[in-house]
Amino acid sequence: MSKKRHDSQPSAPQAKQPQPKQPPAKPKRPPSGLPWHVVSRCLVSLLVLLHMTAVISAPWNLSTGDALPPGYVAPPGQPEVPAPSSTVWQEPPLTRVLHRFFRHYLNLIYMNHGYEFFAPDPSGTHLVGYRVSKSDGTTIEGKFPDLEDQWPRLFYHRHMMLAEQTQMMGRASGQNYADHLATLHGGPSRIDWMIHMLLSPQQVAEGKPLDDRSTYQVIESLDGRPRVTETKEAAIAIPEAGR
Amino acid sequence: MKGIFRDVSSYISEAWQAWNRFWFTPTDPATLSLIRVLAGSMLLYTHLVWSLDLQAFLGQEGWLPVDYLRSQIQVETLPDGSMETDAEGNPVAAWSVWSVFFWIKPVWLLWSVHVIALIVFFCLTLGLFSRTTAVLAFLFAVSYAQRVSPGAFFGLDKINCMLATYLMLGPCGARYSLDRIRRLRRGDTSPAMPSTSANIAIRLIQLHLCVIYLFSALAKLGGENWQAGTAVWWAVANYEYQSLDMTWLANWPVLVALLTHITVFWELLYCCLIWNRFTRPLMLWIAVGVHGGIAIAMGMITFGLSMIYANLAFLSPATVRRWVDPLAGWFAMRLTGAK
Repeated sequence: MSKKRHDSQPSAPQAKQPQPKQPPAKPKRPPSGLPWHVVSRCLVSLLVLLHMTAVISAPWNLSTGDALPPGYVAPPGQPEVPAPSSTVWQEPPLTRVLHRFFRHYLNLIYMNHGYEFFAPDPSGTHLVGYRVSKSDGTTIEGKFPDLEDQWPRLFYHRHMMLAEQTQMMGRASGQNYADHLATLHGGPSRIDWMIHMLLSPQQVAEGKPLDDRSTYQVIESLDGRPRVTETKEAAIAIPEAGR
Repeated sequence: MKGIFRDVSSYISEAWQAWNRFWFTPTDPATLSLIRVLAGSMLLYTHLVWSLDLQAFLGQEGWLPVDYLRSQIQVETLPDGSMETDAEGNPVAAWSVWSVFFWIKPVWLLWSVHVIALIVFFCLTLGLFSRTTAVLAFLFAVSYAQRVSPGAFFGLDKINCMLATYLMLGPCGARYSLDRIRRLRRGDTSPAMPSTSANIAIRLIQLHLCVIYLFSALAKLGGENWQAGTAVWWAVANYEYQSLDMTWLANWPVLVALLTHITVFWELLYCCLIWNRFTRPLMLWIAVGVHGGIAIAMGMITFGLSMIYANLAFLSPATVRRWVDPLAGWFAMRLTGAK
């Protein structure tokens, strides 16, 4: 970027000397007082506009979904909500086109995501409970997230996200967790993917604790086997660090 | 007809001048430098924590193997939303989703890269070779975030990467840095000059924050509990998030509703009211309250702090210098021996 100060630097004072008469100069545009040349400013303005459009396009695209025509009523014998492949659904054209245009740029700078913090509504947390049977006959049990096992808080939170985002990725991710635990401890594993339901203010006011056993529900259980890898390397782990 | 043309021309001219003032007026790099110190320290801490189980989260295998992520999740999509496949019918990985950890296989190399990344974040925090370390910090921050997305990422990674992106655009080491002290030790006592690129970086952080809060509010408006005024209860009653027992709120439904509605209205109006000098302090103090509350009551100290750091972009350089210069001067005196 040019660092020349074209129109902001006052000229050095000069001694007054009689000047020969010159034809009147063409009136100049008033100086902007800005250091960057107008061409640089135009170019950067264009880049800024493109960047901000890209930044907006990611959450905008995520916040818009296909819509049914107003007052849509399913034809007799058809499901109330049409299949996702149905042409009845109206796709939001602008957000999809913008996002498709900018998606690679957004991926490269890790901005291809939404900002739906606790939206549309706060919900219960997912957890993973596990049990691994080691070859020596002992059993290891645990869960994540677990405040007693994962410290500091950010490390605990990473485990919480691990369990939470299984919901996004589906069954295969849970299977990977089971296989990882089996590989780590050298024996078959079983994981329980759970949800911890939230209690209403009325239930809490009546004295029910937030971690009441009835609030945990197992969604699915999966069995894991140690992964077979070509070259097994010794794991480097910090002692006492959470699994 | 001429009058209309003159008025339109005058409007465009004034708009262009205002645009130029907004983006291209040189500003003291104090605000950007302060954000570098704080965001750099957050980047360092965030990535230091990965050391506790580096292989499990970032190695080739671990919780979510790279092969699984690249072949099933981070895949290229077609305009109709379906996966793009190669000639054999296998999904094609999205090339623009990148991370150095996709290619690193030996454990020693993984740890070597991790240690280098920590050194880079440390140098960025201290402001040593700031322009170079800012670029490297951005590359590393995105690499870590992409490897754990999806998997273990959350809002903290988004804000870390956002700040790292904009820090590398301006002279983030012009103040409060070892670079500055090195210049002083060489006898260069000239003050940090106002910078146009510092202004652009700060403006981008400010606008990005507006986008974040606006879309966060719009997403909340689609939630029944945010509209009903009960959402804050469901957030604080989440046992896994809870770091401070807030269940006493069960007996204060009106307070819960007030906090819920304030959150939504604040997020929705932030992009308008933050620009007015009278409403800006109110917006910023609510930001401190909301994010401080999330940090203290919901255990997300890192995320809460990083959002507050981003909000500091709205502090004027004069305010930042009034608060930070005495401390920075104290350090500089001890390191350079200057008085």
